[in-house]
Amino acid sequence: MSQFLEPLWAGLATLGFSLLFDLRGRDLPLAALGAALGWAVSAPLAAASGSQAVGFFAASCVIGIWAELLATLLKRPASVYIVCAIIPLVPGGGMYMTMLEYVRGNTMEAFRVGLATIQAAGAIAAGLAVSSAVSRLLSLRSLARRLSPHRARGAKGQGGRK
Amino acid sequence: MAGSGHDVTMTPSLDTADPEEVLLLAADAARLVLESGGETYRAEETAAAFASALGGAEAECFATPTGLVLSFTGMDGRVRSIVRRISKRAMNLERIVRIDELVRRLGSGSADFAAAAESLDQIERLPPRHLALSLLGAAATTGFFTLLFGGAWNDALVSALVGILVSRIGPRLARKTLPDFFINLVAGAAATLLCLLALRLGFSTNSNATVIGVIMILVPGVAVTNAIRDIVAGDLVAGVARGADAFMAAAAISVGAGGAHQLWRLVTGGAA
Repeated sequence: MSQFLEPLWAGLATLGFSLLFDLRGRDLPLAALGAALGWAVSAPLAAASGSQAVGFFAASCVIGIWAELLATLLKRPASVYIVCAIIPLVPGGGMYMTMLEYVRGNTMEAFRVGLATIQAAGAIAAGLAVSSAVSRLLSLRSLARRLSPHRARGAKGQGGRK
Repeated sequence: MAGSGHDVTMTPSLDTADPEEVLLLAADAARLVLESGGETYRAEETAAAFASALGGAEAECFATPTGLVLSFTGMDGRVRSIVRRISKRAMNLERIVRIDELVRRLGSGSADFAAAAESLDQIERLPPRHLALSLLGAAATTGFFTLLFGGAWNDALVSALVGILVSRIGPRLARKTLPDFFINLVAGAAATLLCLLALRLGFSTNSNATVIGVIMILVPGVAVTNAIRDIVAGDLVAGVARGADAFMAAAAISVGAGGAHQLWRLVTGGAA
């Protein structure tokens, strides 16, 4: 049951955060759906591989591709969706636990949690970088542009998108 | 010819736009991107896109989370530059979306200097979301994160209520121009104390899930990830600065939360 509920909670938490980030209109449910997709990929993979970083890497790949597709179809910056959809994955809780263990004097535990936190953030950043590169290689953008109802023109200032 | 038609539409903006004004506008656009939580490369590309679309021969921008430098060579061959400091940073995706739209319009030549200046002014003065929506956002975030971290329904309800209260602490204290470190410290302490109180009164059962659910709206998880993305992309200075910012925020929240735990133990004599 939890494998269906957890993505739902992740999506709804993202929906809340997107409101705080001032995302508007149809982008709200789309970002939440991205987060739910990411969580649905991450949790089983992390359990199967025994490594949270593997799950996070795969999830951020999925979120990155989803965001790049939406960005081209709706003519929005991809990072608008990325920033919201990675929220359930980002190691905010890890940052907090690291510092809390340190404040409590548990230095070794703080190191352990801290390294895991940096690993998680690194896995997400790597996943996003890979999905951005892959979507450019597969010219996902030109594919989506052909599907697009309004023909997008090659927007300026996007060459360096990461 | 399509090319000549393009030239005709572009000419007025080149004639009327004063290079100094273009420089100011481009710097303001980049500043707005950074203040709204946009990435470093987005700020730099926005400034360059404004400058080149409105009649610059060459534009180069160097941005960090705390400030930017923009240097701009006009059609007259003279080099101008400007420095902008950035002190407040809050995620605002609506602004990012609208600035991106404006950059696209400038790139396609469908906006001239006057239109761009007016749009940018509108974006800057964009009214904030209705308070009820922010409160709903805070409640949904904290409540559903508590469920995601294994809390029960009553825990989620508690953390949603605490989340609403805690989400108002930041804006309230920021109005008195207190440093971010202090605001995060107070918010972390308040979140922990309120959750421990709810546990003591029997409203919630899983204190860990409740506290972490609330803490999620305070901690800079996106900032940590963006810091690493900046570094991966080669924006080394900006990435390290963002990382330091996130680290200090997490430290302040944890010191607040740790202090609150100690205080609670003193007051209740070691229970819970």
